[in-house]
Amino acid sequence: MDNKEVIYQTVDLHKSFGELNVLNGIDLDIHKGEVVVILGPSGCGKSTYLRCLNLLENVTSGKIYFEGNDITSKGVNVNKLRSKVGMVFQQFNLFPHMNALKNVMVAQQRVLKRSKEEAKENALRNLDVVGMKGRANYLPSQLSGGQQQRVAIARALAMDPHVILFDEATSALDPELVREVLQVMKELAQSGMTMVVVTHEMQFARDVGDTIVLLNDGKIEEKASAYEFFNNPKSQITKDFLGHYSE
Amino acid sequence: MGYASAIKSALFKLILVLLAIALASGIFGSYASCFVAEALSTQRFSARPNSDNGNDVLGGEKTRINWEFQANESAPITGFTLVFPEGTTFNEEDASVTLMDDSGTTPGENDHLKRVPIQTVYSIDNLDFSAKFLNEVSADAYLEIRVQNVIFPQNGGELMFKASVNLANGDIVEVRDLLQINVKSFSFADKLAKDLSEQDWVKAWNSNDFLRLFFNPPVLVSSFPVVMQGFFTALALVLCAYPCAIPLGLLLALMRMSKLRLIRAIGSIYVNIIRGTPFFLQLYVAFFGLPLAGVQIPSFILGFIMLFLNSGAYLCEIFRAGIQSIPDGQTEASRSLGMSSFQTMFFIIIPQTIRRVIPTMTNEFILLYKDTSLLAAVGVMEVVMYAKTIVASTGSITPYIVAAFFYLIITIPLASLVGVLERKLDVSKAANNQVNVLDENDISVNVKDESDIDGSIAPSIALGQTQVTLQEDKNLQNDGAKNG
Ligand SMILES: Nc1ncnc2c1ncn2[C@@H]1O[C@H](COP(=O)(O)OP(=O)(O)OP(=O)(O)O)[C@@H](O)[C@H]1O
Ligand SMILES: [Mg+2]
Repeated sequence: MDNKEVIYQTVDLHKSFGELNVLNGIDLDIHKGEVVVILGPSGCGKSTYLRCLNLLENVTSGKIYFEGNDITSKGVNVNKLRSKVGMVFQQFNLFPHMNALKNVMVAQQRVLKRSKEEAKENALRNLDVVGMKGRANYLPSQLSGGQQQRVAIARALAMDPHVILFDEATSALDPELVREVLQVMKELAQSGMTMVVVTHEMQFARDVGDTIVLLNDGKIEEKASAYEFFNNPKSQITKDFLGHYSE
Repeated sequence: MGYASAIKSALFKLILVLLAIALASGIFGSYASCFVAEALSTQRFSARPNSDNGNDVLGGEKTRINWEFQANESAPITGFTLVFPEGTTFNEEDASVTLMDDSGTTPGENDHLKRVPIQTVYSIDNLDFSAKFLNEVSADAYLEIRVQNVIFPQNGGELMFKASVNLANGDIVEVRDLLQINVKSFSFADKLAKDLSEQDWVKAWNSNDFLRLFFNPPVLVSSFPVVMQGFFTALALVLCAYPCAIPLGLLLALMRMSKLRLIRAIGSIYVNIIRGTPFFLQLYVAFFGLPLAGVQIPSFILGFIMLFLNSGAYLCEIFRAGIQSIPDGQTEASRSLGMSSFQTMFFIIIPQTIRRVIPTMTNEFILLYKDTSLLAAVGVMEVVMYAKTIVASTGSITPYIVAAFFYLIITIPLASLVGVLERKLDVSKAANNQVNVLDENDISVNVKDESDIDGSIAPSIALGQTQVTLQEDKNLQNDGAKNG
C-alpha cells in the first residue's frame, strides 16, 4: 500500500473540547483505493477523527494533509475540500423535504454547478449503483432506514469524491436492514473507492478492510492489515476488544 | 347605495389601499361650507343625520333642515323664501324661526345665546317655502330657521337649495350662498332595517332588553354594510402587513443567530422591546409621538407600518424556534457536501422550517388580524371604529356583535385550517411507519450467519444511549454559549 498515492496524511493530530482531550496525537496515512476501518470503544474519538478529516471540527493542533495540501492552515477553501470528501452519517441525514433524486442532485447543482440535466443523469446513475433508482421519486420518510442510507451513499457518490468517510453507517439500522447497506459498501470498496469506515461490524472489517486501526483514548492503539489485526493482534487492549465481540 | 354598490366601493377602497394610498374616510359631512354673500352670510346649512349609523342624511327618510345666517343688510329682514330641491317633500308644521341674541355674552359661545322665537306665517307653493315675520327683526340679526319633516328624494345626491330674503324696504335679495346638502340614497340595508322595525315579530323580539341590546334586527341589518367597510380596511391592513413581516421576521431570526455579537444584539434588542411592550402602547407612541415630532404619516400607512414592525418580531421568534428545531445533522450533511452556510440555510434549513412553522405562522396571522382592532384607539377606520360610531349614535350594542362576526369570518376558518395542518403532520408520520413495516418484506439480502447480526445489535443499542447523552451535552453547551 505504501507505494500508492497518499490521500490523507494526519500528523500528530490533537483535538480537545475545552478541558476534554479527545484526540491525543494521531498519525495516520490513508492511501488511494485503501479501505481503512477504524475500530474502538465508544467515546474513544472515532467520530471526532472523521469529522476533523472534513473540517466539521476544527483541529486543536497537528496537521492534516489532503492530497498534499495542508487543510489545517488558514485560508483553506473548506467547501471545495468537502466537495471532494464524501460523508455518510449514522442517522443518514437525508433532506426530508426532497425526494431521493433531489437529495442526490442538490449539491451537484449548488456546489459543482452542474446543469439540472447533468445532475439528474448523474444522480440516477448513482441511485442505480446503490439499487435505489426505482425509488428516485420517494421522499425519505417513505423509505426504510436501509434505503435511506443507500440514498445517502448515492448522494455522497454523486459528488465524485476522492474519499468517503462512513461514520457507523449501519448502527442506526434494524439488524435485517444492515446487510443491504454493507453490501453496497462492499461493492464500493471493490470498485476501488478510498474509504475510511468507522463501524462495529467485525465481519465487514475482516472482509472488506485493508487496514484496521484501533483507537483507544484518542490514540492509535494498534494499526495492522486486516489479517494481522484479527489473527495476530499485538496489543492486549486489541485482544480484549476483539474478545468482547467474539463472545 | 345597495349592498352591491357597498361592496364595490369597499373593493375600490381595498385597491387604493393596496396601492398604499391613504384612504379618505368614507364619511362626508353633510355640512355646507360658509360663503359670504351680500344679503346675508350663511353660518350653517345642514340636515340632521337620520341614518342608523348616525352620520348620514338619507333620502326617503324624515329629517330636519337647519339654516343659520347672519344678516348684514341695511334694512331689516321681514321674511324669506327657501326653494327646496326637486322631489323633496316638506310641510310648515313645526317650522320655526329663532332670533339668536348674543347681547351680554362673549362671541363664540353659542351655547349661551339667548333664543327668541319669532312669530312667523308660512306659505308653501310647490317647492317654495316662504315665511313672513310678524315680529320686527333688526338689520344685523342672527337667525336660525328650522323646517321639520323634510323628506329628500330616495336617490339622494348633492342637493342644491335656492333662497331669497324680503327686506323692509320692499327689496327681494337673492341669497348667493351655496346652500347644499349631501343626501345619501336610502340603501337596501336601510330599507330592510326600516321594514324590519315595523314588523310585529321584531317588536316582540325587541321587547326583550337583552335581545334588543345585543341582537336588534334592524340595527344588525343597517350596520352590516357600514362595519363591512371597516372589515375591508382591516383585511387590507393585515394583508399588506403580514407578507411584509415574513421577510422581516426571517431577517431578524438570522440576525439573532448571527456569529457577530453586534448583529445578534441589535436583533435581540429589537425583538425584546417589541414583544416586551403592549402593542397598544406602541401605537400610542407612534400615533401621538410622530405628529409631535413633525412627522406626518397618514393613519392607514402608519397602522400598516406598526402592524408590520410588530408582527416581524413575533415571526422572528417563530422562525428562530423553527430553525433551531431542525436537527444539527441537516446542517452537517449539507456542509459535508460542500454547500456554503448560505446555501445550507436557504436550500436545506429554511424550506424545512417553513413546513414546520406554517401552523404557528397561521396563528400569528390570526393574532395580527385581531390586533388591527387596537387601531380603533388611534382613529384608523377599521371594524371596531365603524361599529363604535354606530353604537354611539344608536345606543345599541348590536354593531359590536356585527363586528365580532367580521373577525370570526376570518379567524374560525383559519383556526380550523391550523387544526387540519397539524393533523396532517401526524398522519404523514403514521403513514411513514406503515411504509417501513411494508418495506421489511422487500429485503432480499441473504443472512450469512447469526452471530454477525447479534454483534451489530448490542453496540447499536449502547451507541443509541451515548448519542442521547452527547446531544444533551451539546444542548447544554449551546445554552451556555447563548446565555454568555
Ligand atoms: N461537540 C462536542 N463537544 C464536547 N464534547 C464532545 C463533542 N463531540 C464529542 N465530544 C466528546 O468527545 C468524546 C469522543 O466522541 P466521539 O463521538 O468522537 O466518540 P466515538 O468514538 O465516535 O464514540 P461512539 O462509538 O459512541 O460514536 C466523547 O467523550 C464525547 O463526549
Ligand atoms: Mg461516533
